[in-house]
Amino acid sequence: MIPGSQPTDTDSERELELYFGPQHLGMVGNFSITLKVRGDRIVEATANPGYLHRGFEKLMEYRTWMQNFPLVCRVNVVEPDSMEMIYAMGVEKLAGLEVPERAQYIRSIYLELARVGSHLFGLWAYSNMLGFDTPAQWAMYHRDLVLDLFEELTGGRVYHIYLWPGGVRRDFPEGFKDRIVETLHSIGGCVPDYDSTFFNNRLFHQRAHGIAKISQERAKALGATGQVLRATGMRYDIRKVEPYAAYDQVDWEVPTREEGDAYSRIWVIRDEMIESVHMIFKLLDAMPGGEVYNRVPNPFKWEIPPGETYVRCESSRGELGLYMVSDGGDKPYRVHFRTPSYPHGLTILEELLKGASIADVGNTMISLYIVAPEIDR
Amino acid sequence: MGKPSILSAFKAVKFLFQKPVTLRYPFEQKEPAPRYRGFHLNDWDKCTGCGNCADICPNEAITMVEAPEVEPKPGEKNERPQLDYGRCCFCGLCVDICPPGSLRLSRDYFHIHFDTNTFVFLPKDEAKDEETFLPPEEYSILQASLTHRRKDYEGFSSHPDFTLFEPERVPMPQVSPEERRLSFVEQVLGYSREEARREAARCLECKLCEDACPAHLKISDYIRAIYEDRPDEALRKIFEDNPIPAICGRICMRHCETACSLSIRGEPLAIRWLKRYTSDSIVDYREALELQPAPTTGKTVAVVGAGPSGLSVAHFLALKGHKAVVYDALPGGGGMMRIGPPAYRLPVESIDKDVAYTASLGVEFRFNTKVGTDVLFEDLLNDYDAVYLGIGTTSSRSTRVKNAEKCHLALDFLQRNKIGRPVEVGKHIIVIGGGNVAMDVAREALRLQHIQRPGQETKTMTVSLEDWDEMPATEDEIEEAKEEGVEFNPAWGPKEVVLDDSGEVKGLACKKVKSVFDEAGRFSPSFYEDQVMLLEGDMIIEAIGQGPDFSFIPDAMMENVEFTERRKVKVDEDGRTTLPKVFAGGDIVNVNLDAVTAIADAKVAAEGIDRLLSSES
Amino acid sequence: MISSLKSSLESTFKDVAVGEPEAGRLSVLAPKDSLPVVLRYLKENGLDHLALLSCVDWPERGKFEVVYVLSCYMPSNTDYASEQRLHVFVKAEIPREHPALQSVIDVFENAEPYEREIHELFGVHFAGHPRLIPLFLEREYEIPPFRKDFDTRQYVAETFDPIPPVDE
Repeated sequence: MIPGSQPTDTDSERELELYFGPQHLGMVGNFSITLKVRGDRIVEATANPGYLHRGFEKLMEYRTWMQNFPLVCRVNVVEPDSMEMIYAMGVEKLAGLEVPERAQYIRSIYLELARVGSHLFGLWAYSNMLGFDTPAQWAMYHRDLVLDLFEELTGGRVYHIYLWPGGVRRDFPEGFKDRIVETLHSIGGCVPDYDSTFFNNRLFHQRAHGIAKISQERAKALGATGQVLRATGMRYDIRKVEPYAAYDQVDWEVPTREEGDAYSRIWVIRDEMIESVHMIFKLLDAMPGGEVYNRVPNPFKWEIPPGETYVRCESSRGELGLYMVSDGGDKPYRVHFRTPSYPHGLTILEELLKGASIADVGNTMISLYIVAPEIDR
Repeated sequence: MGKPSILSAFKAVKFLFQKPVTLRYPFEQKEPAPRYRGFHLNDWDKCTGCGNCADICPNEAITMVEAPEVEPKPGEKNERPQLDYGRCCFCGLCVDICPPGSLRLSRDYFHIHFDTNTFVFLPKDEAKDEETFLPPEEYSILQASLTHRRKDYEGFSSHPDFTLFEPERVPMPQVSPEERRLSFVEQVLGYSREEARREAARCLECKLCEDACPAHLKISDYIRAIYEDRPDEALRKIFEDNPIPAICGRICMRHCETACSLSIRGEPLAIRWLKRYTSDSIVDYREALELQPAPTTGKTVAVVGAGPSGLSVAHFLALKGHKAVVYDALPGGGGMMRIGPPAYRLPVESIDKDVAYTASLGVEFRFNTKVGTDVLFEDLLNDYDAVYLGIGTTSSRSTRVKNAEKCHLALDFLQRNKIGRPVEVGKHIIVIGGGNVAMDVAREALRLQHIQRPGQETKTMTVSLEDWDEMPATEDEIEEAKEEGVEFNPAWGPKEVVLDDSGEVKGLACKKVKSVFDEAGRFSPSFYEDQVMLLEGDMIIEAIGQGPDFSFIPDAMMENVEFTERRKVKVDEDGRTTLPKVFAGGDIVNVNLDAVTAIADAKVAAEGIDRLLSSES
Repeated sequence: MISSLKSSLESTFKDVAVGEPEAGRLSVLAPKDSLPVVLRYLKENGLDHLALLSCVDWPERGKFEVVYVLSCYMPSNTDYASEQRLHVFVKAEIPREHPALQSVIDVFENAEPYEREIHELFGVHFAGHPRLIPLFLEREYEIPPFRKDFDTRQYVAETFDPIPPVDE
């Protein structure tokens, strides 16, 4: 309102357009939302992705089956490992490759470690955004410990480039099992600290409870998967629905909540992280010996018979799918990733922001566990 | 869930009294993992410049650049990979494809520089670059860069179980040693279509083989054609440089396979067998090749000798429109190939297949015609526009030890067995020699013993000056001869042929060899005269080498033939000898003494003859 | 479930071709005008999860193939039935010249961004879509960039080469 002017009825009712991101303190990642607000209430939100659109799917049409392997992980920087998994699954399905049993266990352990790392990163993002700096710092540190494990196993900290068609790229180094156990114990030992400072903190409860609430009905209608759906009570998890790697070899539970709000989603993430750690211990115990890689054909002459496939796995954010077509050539003919953040960050975000307050935009976004690069691809 | 408390968060206060987890960089450093994927290392001594790293790189970060300090040789190019760290994503695919395993990643990852050009660099390792790679006491993290790195700091490196190339060959079906020694059946059965395609799929297309091949066949092209299941296209590619694939596909000395990248840490691609597969899978060359000779020029060329070089020169000349007439004393084509390689390695039918195709191009063959007796060399010079000598080495050498005249000579023995009446063999046969011909002779003798003396106790031995490690025969030949039951006496030299009272061969007296070559590396055997043994045997065959027979050239003319220091006929870059309009190639010219080099000579000479004939018209 | 679904699809719709390319997967080729009804039918028969909507360009055939990947959410909150592994590819082929389809947002709401994406990257028009505006790209291209005749290498060469030197 212009100083000195008389307030009118229309001023408080006036609609403003507000650009939230890509450069905004409350925004995590290169993403933007255009908000139509009245007062501090959001009338309409338009998700505005594309800042990270690198055209991976098109680029992959120009690279051979093997050359794509180091590329796919870059679709999602927070959890590159599921991308490797889904690509390997797609190639193995189209080419009819077998994967040794030990490699399946290593894959599961690797993916669960990635889930822990990714959830810790998510925990950092969420608690940081809400102002809980202390657990955010811990989460970052603990994620680094997981990255140390990845570094030892794969040679890379962020982009591991490890899980490839035919198995995995190297076997566990000497004594690696012990290091996994040790690291996970030291992270797990801090769960009470996280609980007392964050999860059981009343400020968090007040800040997240009832925020960005979605019913199971709406979640299904809008294509939700992952925590967004599990926080509404559905035990939908691809690791159970269509088990891959070694997920059907050990017992584990799918944590759920009923409320469907930000609070329950973060709790699902917490419980899932703990479940993952338990699962890794079980997988380590059950892991057989043997080969970890069935050699794929000469990468310069590898042609995959014509066909199409849709494969899916459970990334740390929900159902990660890959639709891939081969025309019989040495390169994929068409690749299309179904990323969990796509429906979460576009359709669901827009719906949940309607009627929310401006202060809850970041809260909503991060509780939906959106990673922008996954949407843009 | 319990009632959340606002005070519970204060429990975190206890962390105030704990040691911080952050590192005080750069005073405290974190050691990268042993598998860390950092900057590249390349062992220049192992690197072959094959360029597979550049081909696999998904970011085109690797370029092969010329390395002038490297001497190119068969199996090694004078190129080395250059990295562009503006593009590299440190995925390590280059490490996993690298056939010699020379390219590795180190655990260094620091490089800060204002000059962007420094991000493009040629990786080496401590073996070649002591200035860059420093021991821990001289290394400082504050100066770390691409030119200030740590010594012995290897990270992600190649592992034999995780290579992107397939080190193992598709096994070639063969007749078992027990079975094959009983007859002259062809030992190698040949790949099936599926096996050939699977083997061809191993080829990385680095083309090291093409540089190593004397005739520079377009190997990776025809291997790709086989992989794509187009054997006719493969045959067309082969025929561009080699008109006798059925022969070469069986007996080629495969310089290519020695150079093959895959051979460094695995088995080389079976290039020879794939060539054989190509020629065997095409029933009629003419249909597949559709080669059209150029319009006739009216020029004629006499080719002396229908061996690999004679056949090839005639083929290439015919394509250029010149009339080639091939003279050979034998009843059919192939020259030494017809009589030398035993039938279990090279059946006569395979030779005739190649010869028949050359004949179909308009080449005229005059077999059973020996130049010098049936037709005079002088007449050829008068009647033809040019003469090509592809006479090879046809006279066997003798050891000339005492009573050596009682021995058989290798070539006569082989020739009779292959295209004449087989020799009647003794019970205990001694073969003198350690080369491939000696192996052929010994393995044939063993077969003949099984055929002619079934059920009898027989024995075939070889005696060679060379010890196991210097024996000139190929490893495969030695191995297969052993499998079949040939016994070896390496490092023994013949002293004399011992006769019994009736003048029949009783055995071979041998003396122990001190060394075969002198200090300069020349052939000059020396012996321990006091260490002798007697090998008992009733038949001795000498297989110690062959020499050329120039007796058909009149002495006056022979005086004008110049020879090289290694006693080879001297030819210029056109294959022309010092006699006017006489060209030469094959074993009388090159030192390799094999078919594919003879073809290479023939190709050169065909061009030279064509140039000569075109300049005349 | 697969075989019953297959036969019920075939008896309900005369103009669809149903195949079972592998165990647990159906492939349904429908005329483009029947797509909304086929999808609605499948949704009512348990395939309530539109996992992905994709498009493949086949220039030699002069067609775009639009693919709807359907799978099932949980029928109940407790058990994991093997039926849930069912996937159905619903496909329609449309000509590359003036490609257009009926939007299916009223059947699957989450098709909204997918249709926008395919419109943007392949140039397929979805009739009835409330906001067919660009999703990712900054500007429009003469040839939509995910079509096979859009040459990425050429585009990169024209747009970004030569790499300008970096000032010191």
